[in-house]
Amino acid sequence: MALWRRNGRKIRNKVRYNRREVIGFYLFLSPWLIGFVVFMLGPIVASLVLSFMQWDMLSTPQWVGWANFVNLLFQTPQFWQVMGNTIFYAFILVPLSIVLSLLVAVLLNQRLLIRSFFRTVFYLPATIPVVAVAMLWSWILAPAGVLNELLSFVGIHGPAWLIDPGWVKPSLILVGLWSVGSNVVLFLAALQGVPKYLYEASGLEGAGLFTQFYVITIPMISPIILFNLVNGIIGSLQVFSQTLILTNNNPSGLMIIPYLYNQAFQFFQLGFASALAWVFFIIIFALTLVILKWSQTWVYYESEVR
Amino acid sequence: MALSIGLSSKRRTWRRILQVSVIYLLVLVGAVSMLLPLLWMVATSLSSSEYATTFPPHFLPSHLYWNNFTQVFQNSQLVQGLLNSVLVVVPSILGQIISSSAGAFAFARLRAPGRRFLFVLCVSTLLIPVEVLLIPQFIEFKYLGWLNTLLPLIVTQIFGNSYNIFLMRQYFMTIPVEYDEAAKLDGLGLFGIWWRIILPLSRPVITTIAVFSFTYNWGVLLTPMIFIHNTQAETLPQVLYALSQTSNLEVVPPWNLIMAGSMLLTIPMVVVYFLSQKNLYETNILGKL
Repeated sequence: MALWRRNGRKIRNKVRYNRREVIGFYLFLSPWLIGFVVFMLGPIVASLVLSFMQWDMLSTPQWVGWANFVNLLFQTPQFWQVMGNTIFYAFILVPLSIVLSLLVAVLLNQRLLIRSFFRTVFYLPATIPVVAVAMLWSWILAPAGVLNELLSFVGIHGPAWLIDPGWVKPSLILVGLWSVGSNVVLFLAALQGVPKYLYEASGLEGAGLFTQFYVITIPMISPIILFNLVNGIIGSLQVFSQTLILTNNNPSGLMIIPYLYNQAFQFFQLGFASALAWVFFIIIFALTLVILKWSQTWVYYESEVR
Repeated sequence: MALSIGLSSKRRTWRRILQVSVIYLLVLVGAVSMLLPLLWMVATSLSSSEYATTFPPHFLPSHLYWNNFTQVFQNSQLVQGLLNSVLVVVPSILGQIISSSAGAFAFARLRAPGRRFLFVLCVSTLLIPVEVLLIPQFIEFKYLGWLNTLLPLIVTQIFGNSYNIFLMRQYFMTIPVEYDEAAKLDGLGLFGIWWRIILPLSRPVITTIAVFSFTYNWGVLLTPMIFIHNTQAETLPQVLYALSQTSNLEVVPPWNLIMAGSMLLTIPMVVVYFLSQKNLYETNILGKL
């Protein structure tokens, strides 16, 4: 099996396969293989083809070439508004959430009374299903909801959080921040992995808490920061339930996936929606690559091999 | 942590006290802001319908209405939703575990031509975004006549997924091959090794995948909204969503009922997390990534 080059020549080393093992391999893998072909490979090909067609599921599909893409990118200003909303949401929420969860993790990493209780408290909201979270917050943030009620005690007349165009996205971000718990847990685990002697040694040399945090803690946990960053960005670009429930297709809170849902399953513009899906995928992919490339300047891997 | 050399011990004590109180203050403020919304959910779910919709709202109900929960169980839509969610979640988890662990076993233990290629293929499918797949899957299920049934939600789950296969494979690799060989000498076949040796040794990773699968299938709203458009087959998140959407802006949704329903959606999730915490920790998802 293994192919490698030696003295510039390809050499195939002979592996004698055991027939029963080979049959067993494909048998054991068959569920995934079937699922892959039927629910992934097939749909991907179909989606590519569809993105060059016009189809509403009723008439016969028509080949339209690049028309869907041209239409989407140059003739649909709404697409850019929705894309802007989505990128704004992800690129504000995720960095904020990382800073906040790191702060919480550092605090919880101190010697505290009832530390495990606090850890549970911070983790709890992250275990609540997104739909329930969204329900709860649409109730809290309603125009006459409990948040505005609280604000009126201190004499502030709160806005209609989920209706006022200027407040919709900040409100969605606030709701997202409530679920920082899963990041906190990952950061806590990472913090506990930072060797104590690094702090002791730098302390003896007179480094203060903040210097230590900046020079030791951040670099040591930077792989986890990157992990949370990439996962968070990809996840929040694909936000669906929160925005659907909380903003109910309010244009200033409309994100890509709900938009795609409307185009495909409300208006049955299947070709246009497929083109949208591909463009969106390419944008996510490109953003991820940029982040990964950028991360090389600040992520520190202890076991780095160059 | 920081040894402040050169400071008098008294000043040091004061600094320490200040530090500790700032830490406690921050943690407390954070903890309260995490808990208050939750408290509000519980409070609303236990208040009467007039109470939940009075303006201005009250923070705590003066009287606990446990019969909201009885009402939830008398609301045929919510009960049907709950039942449908259970009908989706149970086979999905079982199928996910069996298919993913079988695939992972193949990748971790069995040598065959094409294994490397298939493994790379499997891992690279992690990059494929769901949104690209949804429209063709919708068309597929339409032609199969499975729309408006629970089948699309189950069938897309039971063949395993590459993330779980990858996670399990990494775990299986840590189980010594000697166990397999001993089992072979005892006359176990490949199926026996997988079922009687590998799986029993993999409880933490199986629990982890079960929890992931439960979390996803129990809470998902997007796929049911695509594949199901009749009330008979709606899942619990869908029913809650429908309840919260009132056609008329003047009509206030039944918030106490919605919150009680949301509690119904939340409680199993919280219980599952806390029961499986130890296993999740043992799998050490972090280390494997």
